[in-house]
Amino acid sequence: MGIKSFLSLEDAGREELREILTLARAHAEGRVANTLAGKTVCLAFFEASTRTAVSFDLAARRCGADVISLSDKGSSISKGESLVDTVVTLDCLGADAVVLRHPAAGAAALASRYTSAPVINAGDGCGQHPTQALLDLYALSEAVGGFDRLAGRRVAVIGDVLHSRVARSVIPAFTKAGMEISLVAPRTLLPSDAGAWGLPVLPSVDYALDWGADVLYTLRLQKERMTGARVPSVGEYARFYGVSRRHLRGGTLVMHPGPVNRGVEISGDVVLDAASLIPNQVAAGIAVRSAVLTVATGAADRVAA
Amino acid sequence: MIRKNAGTNELVVRRARVLDPGAGLDGVMDVRLSDGRVSEVGDNLRGGRELEADGLHLFPGFVDVHAHWRTPGREDEETIESGSASAAAGGFTGVVMMPNTDPIVDSPVIVSGLARRIERESRVRARISAALHVGLRGERLTEMRLLKEAGALCVSDDGLGTASAGVLRNGMMYARSAGLPLILHCEDHTLATGVVHDGVAASLAGIPGSPASAEDVATATALILAAETGATTHITHVSTTLSAALVAFFKDRADVTADTTPHHLTLTDDLVSTLEGLYRVNPPLRPDADRSGVGEALRDGVLDFVATDHAPHASEEKELPLEEAAPGFLGHETAFAALYTELVLPGKLTLARLVEAMGCAPGRWVGEGGSLAVGGPADLVLVDLSERWTVDAGTMISRSSNSPYLGRTLTGRVVGTIVGGEVVYDRTGAQLGTRG
Repeated sequence: MGIKSFLSLEDAGREELREILTLARAHAEGRVANTLAGKTVCLAFFEASTRTAVSFDLAARRCGADVISLSDKGSSISKGESLVDTVVTLDCLGADAVVLRHPAAGAAALASRYTSAPVINAGDGCGQHPTQALLDLYALSEAVGGFDRLAGRRVAVIGDVLHSRVARSVIPAFTKAGMEISLVAPRTLLPSDAGAWGLPVLPSVDYALDWGADVLYTLRLQKERMTGARVPSVGEYARFYGVSRRHLRGGTLVMHPGPVNRGVEISGDVVLDAASLIPNQVAAGIAVRSAVLTVATGAADRVAA
Repeated sequence: MIRKNAGTNELVVRRARVLDPGAGLDGVMDVRLSDGRVSEVGDNLRGGRELEADGLHLFPGFVDVHAHWRTPGREDEETIESGSASAAAGGFTGVVMMPNTDPIVDSPVIVSGLARRIERESRVRARISAALHVGLRGERLTEMRLLKEAGALCVSDDGLGTASAGVLRNGMMYARSAGLPLILHCEDHTLATGVVHDGVAASLAGIPGSPASAEDVATATALILAAETGATTHITHVSTTLSAALVAFFKDRADVTADTTPHHLTLTDDLVSTLEGLYRVNPPLRPDADRSGVGEALRDGVLDFVATDHAPHASEEKELPLEEAAPGFLGHETAFAALYTELVLPGKLTLARLVEAMGCAPGRWVGEGGSLAVGGPADLVLVDLSERWTVDAGTMISRSSNSPYLGRTLTGRVVGTIVGGEVVYDRTGAQLGTRG
């Protein structure tokens, strides 16, 4: 198996998702190690990030890779070097994988045209965030007893779908795992052609439960969008689109890609409730990103052997 | 360069298939050009210099009322020399330069300076559109009467539009009294917050979209004000079915004309899914329903003609994610072939209507060219309708290469362009086979 970029999950098959999660589990249980020994992983972050950057950094180091970090502070990126030139430079330095975070959708695809190294999209604009979707799948499959038990479950994706790269990766990933999805958001937070996904749109979390949601997947509402013309008030948003304790019945699970606005997307007393998979999602990040880096660099063969 | 004193040089174009719906010409005939003008059209004409055009089509020279030659300010992207060479290679004998350069063409001294440079550097008849308001900021009106004296053909708010309907209304009234037509860019910036059309492809890709209403609302505003003020108003780059319908409604109620572009007639927002910065343009590529609706409006004459919105950009402005890329496409060199391939060959538009929409109608709007009528300027284009060619960045004559048709194979190619009786483009470099 050769190298493989992770730009989106739109072309990934069900078996491919299962293999990555299986490999992630092996990483989590310490059954594989040093898959990236002698390799160089470059983290190029053109946009501020804490949890994703730390998660990739730890994942790469635990797999034995050397890590180069470029961020928008104190690097050529902050000097205005273009995306293309940064990627070419990393290619010339012998990067074995480029992990890219960028404020514009399509940046990862653009970068992949200028390097022979695999590009792992760590979030580009409102476009894609494939490793988030993979760690969500991992956390959820662990919670329900395995990947094959995901099929048939119902997930309500709640909140700012319009501006969410997480939604654009989670929707295809969950669909491929056999889950049914509905969207819960006001029209102002949905893409104009939300119908493009062919998913039902529901008016509130209560409706999502009536629809039979097993999982309430809430999306972050950026601070700047809480005021202004898209949402009348935080109070009204929380009332109809926020998850509160009264929604936790019959084993409903709650997820959020973080960071959570407590009392907006999820009430404070739910974030760390037993029904919340939020800590599991964060914890899954390292194992899943280790697996992604291992597959991306073509090192997965040696693991299997 | 045009030699104004083309002198006694005479040229007879022989045996071309002549098509000029404006002048009522359609058939194999000979055309005599003398002293920079069409002097005779008929059979068995002979002359001192002859050009054998057997097998080629001869049309009135095309006229493009919407071009960005990036001069002054971005001569790395295009100059008057390169822009006019690119236009000539596309069969254009007349061009109107838009004012959103750096600096903006908003003062008489800039207009007169440009006019002098055009005289020296342009291969085709280039005309100047000055800015409608100072700095294109939508606040203070430009000195339109002085701009006209300095050589401006018209005024425009192209690139940005005019945010305030009040300023636009005053601008239209003043332009009318100055005797200047307006070319208007209709875009409501409170709605146009994205970089591509707000449709299926944008939704799936997560690229910020601008709705069609951003154009339609501004088009309606401009048309209502055109009817009220009586200003001679041209709506440029119409890209939606609704805006075309609005133009149709106002055709009898206002002094209004409109154009659309080759790219809005041939490409759709499906290209957004490539995520490539190359495909960013303003107004954005629309869904297929708008592409075909605009095509029908051009066919029916609701949209009077085609203009290319030729907009060169350096590669560093295009090799970017869509959201960060500069909007705009090259237009001159591919316009005829793209429209012949995508509209005429499939039977959606007649060749005669295409020639009218690229030559006759915009020529009438500019007031010169676009006609093979005897006594008019000898501006014409020779086209080989059978030649298939692949659009290639390496062979573009423009200084830039941001064509949305790169890699596509098109049918129909301009082989020669004549302005004022002088050959300004000769693709094979063989002086078009003239002998004399």
